Amino acid sequence: MSTFKRSEDGSISITFTSQEAHVLINLTEQLVELLAEGDGQSHQVDPLLHLVGISNADSLPEDPVLRRLLPNAYADEKSAGEFRRYTEHGLREKKKAHALTIYEALLPQDEEWTGDTPLDKGFLTLTFPSDESLEWLGGLNDLRLALAVRLGIGTEQDRVKNAKNDEDVITTSESLHKKYELMVDSDPMKAVYSVYSWIGWLQQSLLDALTN
Amino acid sequence: MALGTAIESEVELDLRADRPWVCVVWDDPVNLMSYVTHVFMVLFGYSKEKATELMLKVHNEGRATVTSGTREEMERDVQRLHEYGLWATVQKDDEF
Repeated sequence: MSTFKRSEDGSISITFTSQEAHVLINLTEQLVELLAEGDGQSHQVDPLLHLVGISNADSLPEDPVLRRLLPNAYADEKSAGEFRRYTEHGLREKKKAHALTIYEALLPQDEEWTGDTPLDKGFLTLTFPSDESLEWLGGLNDLRLALAVRLGIGTEQDRVKNAKNDEDVITTSESLHKKYELMVDSDPMKAVYSVYSWIGWLQQSLLDALTN
Repeated sequence: MALGTAIESEVELDLRADRPWVCVVWDDPVNLMSYVTHVFMVLFGYSKEKATELMLKVHNEGRATVTSGTREEMERDVQRLHEYGLWATVQKDDEF
């Protein structure tokens, strides 16, 4: 597995295997599609309001991943709803832009491989200025949050259980790791967990490159 | 006496109105500790020490007040934290 490196001119680079690149292309593409889903359409869309970034969305989205990515900004529903009407569209756009930063860095080079290169043989090296790092970090973080929902990590239910000191609840990364290590390889959740761990590892490697 | 009481309560009301709003970050087992620290440094210009201290407070106590100011400023901070995937809320600083 490759890590992010910072060169002397300050730019950041990384070499992905084509398989790794495909995982990221695929996930960021899905994330962008999900973020566009139901944008401002909880009721009838007002085209003028939509144009200026105000949506009719005044409650948490139904999709559990979107609920995680677009949380309430206030504890009370009324203020949260009001704030959401003015900001949710902008938040979706920002998150889409973060995911697209990753997607667009990988895609053009991916197209050059067409067909001949076996997935596990190709490599692609990409370089970006360090001021794009925050977009990469944010995009990678959203992918982790989305995968965490599928894995049942840190969900609302999880938080409630945790508050009640339920000892069965798995919150530490160590016990989580154990749980998925013990899973049979054919279990699809094991693959999801390894992608989740890998993206966390990537994110840490980018943070290390920035601070070292 | 009656007049004194009235003035006193008026002063108290004024103080309450001046009380700042705060931006609270909540613990989330998904976000890497190093990432949360980095976000605090970049978004709020905090030193590594201050950002780490706040991150640890979130981690250990479940939440921490990271900024305070006007309601509009706090809404902007919460929005920026949400953009980077941290879980934050706006509230009056006496709501704890």
